[in-house]
Order: sequence, then structure tokens, then C-alpha cells
Amino acid sequence: MLQVESLMKSFDDFMAVDGANLTVGKGEIVAVIGPNGAGKTTLFNLITGALKRDRGRIIFKGEDIGELPPYEICKKGISRSYQIVNIFPRLTVFGNVQVAVLSHQRRSSNLFQPAQNIAVEETRSILESMGLSNKGKSIAGSLSHGDQKILEIAIALGNEPELLILDEPTAGMSPEETQDTMELVKRLANQRGLTILFCEHDMNIVFSIAQSIMVMRHGQTIIQGSLDEVRNNKEVQEAYLGGE
Amino acid sequence: MTFGPAELICQLLVGISRSMILFIVCAGLSFVLGVLRIPNIAHGTLYMIGAFATFSITKMFAGSSGFWIALIVAPLLVAVVSLIAERVLFCHLYEREHLMLLLFTFALSLILGDLVKIVWGAEYKSVSAPLLLKGSISILGASFPRYNLFLILVGPLVAIAIWLFTNKTKIGKISRAAAVDREMVGVLGINVSWVFAIAFVIGCYLAGVGGALVAPTVSITLGMDHTLIIEAFLIVIIGGLGNMWGALVGSLIFGITHSFGVLFWPQFAIVFPYIAVVIVLLLRPKGLLKSVW
Amino acid sequence: MFKNIIHSKWFGVVAGIFILLFICPLFAPRFFVYILALIYVTSLLAMSLNMVVGHGGLFQFHHGVFYGVGAYAVALMLTKSSMPMWFGFIVGPVVAAIIGLIIGWFCVRLTRLYFGMLQISLGSLIWAIVFRWYNFTGGDDGIHGIPMPSLIASLNSSYYFILIILVICLILMYMILKSPFGNTLQATRDNSQRCEAVGINVKRYQLGGIVVATFFAGVAGVLFVVLERSVFPDLLFWVLSLEIFIMCLLGGWFTFAGPILGAAITVALRTFVGRYTEYWTLILGIMLILVIFFLPEGVMGFFQGLFKPGKKEVTERGKS
Repeated sequence: MLQVESLMKSFDDFMAVDGANLTVGKGEIVAVIGPNGAGKTTLFNLITGALKRDRGRIIFKGEDIGELPPYEICKKGISRSYQIVNIFPRLTVFGNVQVAVLSHQRRSSNLFQPAQNIAVEETRSILESMGLSNKGKSIAGSLSHGDQKILEIAIALGNEPELLILDEPTAGMSPEETQDTMELVKRLANQRGLTILFCEHDMNIVFSIAQSIMVMRHGQTIIQGSLDEVRNNKEVQEAYLGGE
Repeated sequence: MTFGPAELICQLLVGISRSMILFIVCAGLSFVLGVLRIPNIAHGTLYMIGAFATFSITKMFAGSSGFWIALIVAPLLVAVVSLIAERVLFCHLYEREHLMLLLFTFALSLILGDLVKIVWGAEYKSVSAPLLLKGSISILGASFPRYNLFLILVGPLVAIAIWLFTNKTKIGKISRAAAVDREMVGVLGINVSWVFAIAFVIGCYLAGVGGALVAPTVSITLGMDHTLIIEAFLIVIIGGLGNMWGALVGSLIFGITHSFGVLFWPQFAIVFPYIAVVIVLLLRPKGLLKSVW
Repeated sequence: MFKNIIHSKWFGVVAGIFILLFICPLFAPRFFVYILALIYVTSLLAMSLNMVVGHGGLFQFHHGVFYGVGAYAVALMLTKSSMPMWFGFIVGPVVAAIIGLIIGWFCVRLTRLYFGMLQISLGSLIWAIVFRWYNFTGGDDGIHGIPMPSLIASLNSSYYFILIILVICLILMYMILKSPFGNTLQATRDNSQRCEAVGINVKRYQLGGIVVATFFAGVAGVLFVVLERSVFPDLLFWVLSLEIFIMCLLGGWFTFAGPILGAAITVALRTFVGRYTEYWTLILGIMLILVIFFLPEGVMGFFQGLFKPGKKEVTERGKS
């Protein structure tokens, strides 16, 4: 479904991404891991169009999306959540998700109908599946951090994506919240047939749900493979797992 | 209408001389903008006070010496006014958001504007140039006012003075540093509030100098603050925010396009500089030279 | 949505106020009626600015230009063309919106501050042209004695006309802000990066917001001409743009009706202070300083803070 080939991106003289390769098959759950500064977030920014690549190809469903602006890429079926909570703090929880749903339904430019009557069912069902139903009317800025991270993902779901990209979805969460969130993500992937690409620092999560793991270091892909392949790879052991 | 080279050159020089006044005023505005990060809307009003004060001081002394004295005293008066405003009110707002600072300068311009009306009345005033600078000289056969020649000489002197100040004096260097990174300056133990005060007063002083210099060339009226501030602000924008040399470039563009406008289409002379500003901003939205931010 | 409005507790109060305003010309002195009408025009202008700044998050620094353009467009149509008068009334806002679209198109390519500065320069250019074009626009004298259709020629009838148009525009603005477009616009204000990631072409929405806002500013310009029967270049000058900004600030940016309050206060102050002293700008300056020092949330924000202390906490927690 998604193919990244020899992707490169530099900022002034710093090579943030220097030859990244990634393959994500339809319906798979793929994790990207690597030490801090390895270029994971930059990679995600490149895929979603927030940054323009210098070189390399990004192919989604057979199409090179490297030159498209973020809103076009979203319309192709890719949605993402952010590592640092990036919601609409002044809107309600319902409103936050609704923005995405309306955009997906191409009804965002509707001028004269009250928004509160539009796309209500779809928005409610997303809130329900994320466990946020009872918080629909709260102002997003007033939620706890953990709830905001869940809202992060809920907004991304509003676009009914085919590929969902999660940037450290459980960062800053307690162990129970982390467990719950990842169960949720796995369930959603099954129910909605989502393909998931995520990055995490918590190895337990990565090893428990990822089917394929890509390891990055200094902006380069060291290897992508199954859990065992990655664990047994010498380079990975040196660079990252500390030679276990 | 045909113009010979003499007229064109004279008009160019007139443009340059007017640019010098604009430069002095804009250098002050740019300096404050760079250090405090806000445009001082009262800058135009302070310029106006400089002009009115020059009128009064010139009248107090017989003969030409009045003007020379005014050239020194009027800007100092303006600096004092700005210092009072800063110490009594402005300095309490430094922690607030920029919008509040901007509005304060607007409120100050309203207050000072009416104070000018109270002190000097609503009719226009005029100041004549000192004897030494009256009349004109001949350049290539066309006549060129002596006063404008004086302005062309004064401009670069002020530019050099400003350059020396910002590059060679301790206060100047600190101000420049504060413009670029005020937190760092604070961390180094320097009282940032004083830096702001000094920058503000010096900027306003320059506005006063501009007002004093412009006094013999225009009728001194109550609306001059409003027209000046928009021109000065646009000049500072096209030059690059906070950049002194940018203020010079911007002023030259403004003054010269205006004077050529006067030559070729006098009715719409004022439109030419605005068109030039729009063109610059469309091509280089952040200004021609590097801004301090 | 209308059911909610009718049942809300404010409806009675607001309805009462409207009825009072409607019957006002029957018993109030002429001058008072005139001032109210002026407040309506200014309120509409301030509301239109709030749409693009408060709800859209754009640095619309020279909004007055669109007001002035609307006013001049209708003035020129009524004095220089032989088209039917009511046609001029439509031309005003449409021309304002077109100029808004053109200026907006250039400005949205830039961010924040630079958006504002380009707009100031483009607006000032328009001012300079109008200011000097004696033959066409009357130059610095402006145009006076503009004829009006007899239906709205008297003070009272123009009062009603202005009030009705104001109410219609307010209802339209309310509907637009509560519509998906309005919500999306506010979302672009709060987090344009996320909007892009969610499939929204932010610049297109910003431009849309500008066109809507400048259309209403043009309507306000038309209403001004109906009331004053003249236009002058000050309508396009930066001072007016800054004053409208201040009205929104005084009234409170993020509320729906705040700008109306700001406009009312400013016009009322200017008129009543002006009766006692010719130095009303001095007083205005002093009041502005008092507001800056003591009411940072604006007058409406201050009252909201009194009634709903919880809301303030919420935004502060959100910030951390």
C-alpha cells in the first residue's frame, strides 16, 4: 500500500533523513523504531506532505504522492496523529472530530446549515469507539493529557483513512492507558480494515502488536523485517538494543 | 512636457533630500521596532511635536539663530516627552502581549495629538529657513534650494552617528543584541527594561530631529502625524523590520519615486511611492534587507 | 438551531431590546436616532472584522478599505451612473467583496504579520488613488449630497432600513459562523497545521472568510452612505481600520456580539464626549489606556469572566 524508496531530506546542512526505505502492506501493522533523532517524525512528516522531500519516492496505492500538499494526501486516504498533542483546543471534543468528518464528507464549505446537525452519527460513532462519548461536550483544551492523546487519534479517524499513521501514540501515558490505547488501536485496525504505521519508544508495545518493524538510525533505514529478523540483526543490536 | 537633464537631476536631488528626513524618522521607528518588536504609532505625533516645537523656538529668537537652537532643543524636548510616557506608563506593559503595546502607542498618539492642539491651536504654522540656507543654488542651470542641499548633507551624518552608536557604543550594541534575543540579554544580567527605555527614547528623539528638519519645508499642520506614520511604517516594512540600512533604502525608494511622480504626473505624485511599496512587498514580502527578527 | 435560540434565556432580553429599538424613532429626539443608526453601521463593520480576525485568525490590518470601497462604489453608482438606485446598493458590497478577493488572494500567500503588512500597503495605495482622483472620486473633498430612493430618504426611514439590514446581516453572520464553513474557519484559526492534515485547504477557507467579511464590510459602507449621504477618503484611511480593531478588542474578540458593544461604546463616547469638549480624542486616548491597564479581555470578556469563571480556567489549563 505504501512504499518509501531512498527518501532524503536535509535542513540546511543536517541530513534528517538520509536514505529511508519502508514497505507497508495493506492491512498490516508496521512499526518504525529508532533512537531519538533517528528521523522517524521527519519521515512521517514527509509521507504526510508536511515537509517536502529532497529526493526519493513516496508511493501510495501506486501513485507518487511526494509533491502533493498535505490536504491532498489526506484525501487520498492517509491520516495521522501527532506526537505532541495537536488538537483544536477551543472546540469541543465533538467539534474536534467533526472537523475531520466534515472534511471527509466534503461538506466543510457548507455555509448555511447549522453544523451541529451535520455528520452527527458518524462523529458520535467515532467518539464511541474511542471511548469518548461521555466527553463530547467538553472543551478539548480542558481534557486530561491521556484523553487528549486519544482525541488525537479520534480526529485522525474522522477522515476514514485507509492508512493511519500514529506518531508515538502512547507517549506520556500511564501503563494502563497505554495498554488500553493499543488494544483500541488493534481493535480498530481489525474492525475498520485499517493499515497502521506507527512509531514508539515502548518496545513492549512494538513487539506485541507490530507485524513488521523498520529500524532507523541517523536518518537511514537499517532493516525492515519481522520481529525475529530485527531482534537478531547485528547492526540493530549495536545501534539500538545495546547489544543484548 | 520635456525635461532636460538638469531638471531631472534636480528633481532626483530633491527626492534624495526628502528621503533624508524620512530616513531619520524611519531609522528611529525601525530602531524601536527592532528592540521592542512593535511599531510606535506615536512616532508620527512625536515628529509633529518636533515640528511645532521648532516653530515656537524659532519664534522666540530673532534672526536665524532660532532655527539652529530649535534644531538642538526641539528633539530633546520630544525625547523628554517620550521618556515621561515611557517611565510613567509604557514600561508597565512590557510583559504584556504586543497588541497591548501597539494600542498603547495608538492611545499615546491620540493624547499627544490633542495636546498639540491644546498648546498650539489648530491653524497651520510655518517656519522659515535660516538665512544661511535660504534661497537656491544653481545646478547645471536649474535651481536647487539650499535647504535641500543641507538635508542631503545632514542625512549621511545622522546615518554615520547611528551606525557609530549601534556598533561602537556599549548601549548601542546591547540594544542590537536585545533586538535579536532579548532573553539572552536578560540572562546576561542586563536590565532589559532599561534597554527598552533607552531604545524608545532614542527612537523618539530621532522622530523629533526629523520634525525639526522638516519644519521649514512644509506647512506644519495637525494631520501631519497620521500621514507620516503610514509612510514611515511602509518604508520600514519594505526596508526590512528593524534594519537601519533598510530604512535608508526604503526612504530613498519612497522619496525618489515621489519626486519623480511630481515631475511626471503631479496630481498622482503620492501614488507612485505606494505603488513602489506594493511592488516591493509582492516580490519580497519580508522586505528588501534582512529584518532583525 | 432556531428552537435553541428561542428557548435560550437571552432571547427575551434581546427581543425586548429590538422592539425598543424599533419604536425608538417615535419618541426619541432626532439626534439620538441618528446616533443609533451610526452605531448600527459601525457595529456591522466591527462584526465583519471580527469574522476574519477573531474567528478566522487573520491579521486583517486594513479592513476599513473594504468599507470605504463599498461606500464609494455605491456613491459613484448613485451620482455618476444612470442605473437604478437599488442596483447601486448591490454593487457596493459586491465590489467590496471583489476587492477583498483580489487583495486577499495576494495576502493569504503570506503568513500572519506579512499578511497584514501587504494589506496595509495595498489598502494605502487605494486610499492614495481615491484621495487624489478629484475628477472621479472628489479627491479629499469626497462626494456629498448623494441622492437616495425616496423610500429611505428621511432620517426615520433610513433608520429602519439600516436596522433591518443590520438584523438580517447579523442573522446571516450567525448562521455562517455556526455552519460547517464557520466551524472550519475557526479550526484553521486554532490549528491550521492540523486542518491541512485533515484534508482542509486552509488558504481557500481563509480566502472564503475574507470574501464573506469584506462583503459585509461593503454592506456597512452602503449603509453609511444611506445615513450620511456622503463619502470621503477618511473611510479608507488606516486610522479607521485601527479604530475598528480597537472596537473588537474593547468588545471582546471571541464572542459573537462583542464587537457590537465595542462599536456602541466608541461611537457613543465620541459623540457624547464631543459635545462637551473638542478634545475628545484626548479623552478617548485616556480611556483606551485605562482599558489596556485594567480590562485586558475587553469589556465583554470582563463580563463573561464575572458570570462564568470556569471558562477562564479552561483556557489556561489548555495552554499548559
